[in-house]
Amino acid sequence: MYKWLDDIVKMPRKAMPILSFPAVQLMGISVKDLISSAEYQAQAMKIVADRTPSVASVSLMDLSVEAECFGSNVVVYEDEVPAVVDTIVSSEDDAKMLVVPPANSKRAGICIDAISLATQLITDRPIFAGVIGSFSLAGRLVGVTDAMVYCYDEPDMMKIVLEKSTQFIIDYCNQFKRAGANGVVIAEPLAGLLSPAFAEEFSTPYIKAIVDAVQDENFIVVYHNCGNTALRIIDTILQVGAKVYHFGNAVDMEEVMKSMPKDIVTMGNIDPAGQIRNGTVESVTKVTNELLDKCSKYQNFVISSGCDIPPLAKWENIDAFFRAVENY
Amino acid sequence: MNMQQILVDISNALQAGRAKIVKELIGQALEEGVSVELILNAMLDGMSIIGAKFKADEIFVPEVLISARALNQGLEIIKPILTETGVKPLGNAVIGTIKGDLHDIGKNLVKMMLVGVGIEVIDLGVDVSAQDFIKAAQDNQAKVICISALLTTTMTNMKEVIDELVARGIRDQYVVMVGGAPITSSFAKEIGADHYAPDAASAAEVAKSLF
Repeated sequence: MYKWLDDIVKMPRKAMPILSFPAVQLMGISVKDLISSAEYQAQAMKIVADRTPSVASVSLMDLSVEAECFGSNVVVYEDEVPAVVDTIVSSEDDAKMLVVPPANSKRAGICIDAISLATQLITDRPIFAGVIGSFSLAGRLVGVTDAMVYCYDEPDMMKIVLEKSTQFIIDYCNQFKRAGANGVVIAEPLAGLLSPAFAEEFSTPYIKAIVDAVQDENFIVVYHNCGNTALRIIDTILQVGAKVYHFGNAVDMEEVMKSMPKDIVTMGNIDPAGQIRNGTVESVTKVTNELLDKCSKYQNFVISSGCDIPPLAKWENIDAFFRAVENY
Repeated sequence: MNMQQILVDISNALQAGRAKIVKELIGQALEEGVSVELILNAMLDGMSIIGAKFKADEIFVPEVLISARALNQGLEIIKPILTETGVKPLGNAVIGTIKGDLHDIGKNLVKMMLVGVGIEVIDLGVDVSAQDFIKAAQDNQAKVICISALLTTTMTNMKEVIDELVARGIRDQYVVMVGGAPITSSFAKEIGADHYAPDAASAAEVAKSLF
């Protein structure tokens, strides 16, 4: 995978949007069907790989899977990504009693099987599994709004939850590694709401622990942070040691590229909802060209979506995105 | 303690998120005969500084939340006295996350910022139908209806609120403000909303200007 990174940098035109859920439209199934079936997930990745020249295949970015393993209740929508709806930790005692579940429990097992199947179907590009980051998972277990306040009021409690979240994520990543994935995209959106100091205390060391435990020449980590403070905390997030960094559309990608080391592959950041879901072929083409105008001079830049593309994003827009990259 | 100093201390403690100290200082101020309006203004000034710093990316969500908590706990003390003395909020607003959507952090932030500019906010929670938004606005004499959405599939439900207001012939009685991650100003215009708020601080600024 280190060679793949070297090759990426040398490529003149390269794109890797977070693109998986929209395959449901081409398959005639619902999101609910997709998240419940390893076969469907593998087929979805194959369909996307066959249709698009993305430099890698990316599995679902479903940030409810891990919390559900811990015991959180999840609402499953017909055509939208599931949501965690309650909290299971509200005291230090709860945190101490929290049991780290097996990394292949509940839908995590389905996602692992999906990667295993996908590796048999997709052989022309790397395959990245999707996992949640430690602070984002901890936030789902204690309550997303409460997590912010707990950083002040109950830092010890947060750290117990963070350690257990990290332990689970390491195990989960290792399961993906054994299943044949070439890496993981670790999504840590909640850390994007933190100050640099809090990100350094409550996110970075835990993500670093994951990276240290799982990343090697055959399995790399893509760190995703779509918060609007990501630009402010670049120095902090670089400490995690991921091989690739992925940014959301809340930040100015050109400013990000100026701040990132030139030898680190950096991805972002077409608005997945505002443009790819709700835009037009013309608007998507325009913003893609504009982003390439600003960032293609950086050899380590790979154009991407700012976050996962919503399930009902129009395929004509997705095609327009890739066409714009190809024609640039 | 000097009256001016105590008000400054209230504002500073609120900005630091020190809810316990805010409550202690309010108690002290009331004992010394400081008017509730001045105490309220001190807290709102503090929250206004928080809002400006948040908008300027000088502070972040956790800092806003703990300041808002200090504000809420301070308000709990002085609200009964404000009501007794006839001091009213700037106006009323209802807020909620649209039907089908269970995400609330953005909505919670906006609520806190609206409270921080002196607006009484009726929080309807998540998964709120058009009918419930309108009923709450009517029941609470709210001028502003704030609708949040995080999902691209639920944002389209926001239009139902506006359509329902039109159908009932009461559209011009309410100001509808929308926001959330997938929302854009063009979407807001398309569905007939009055305002789009790209962030919580902007939402508060717009809402304040409406009263």
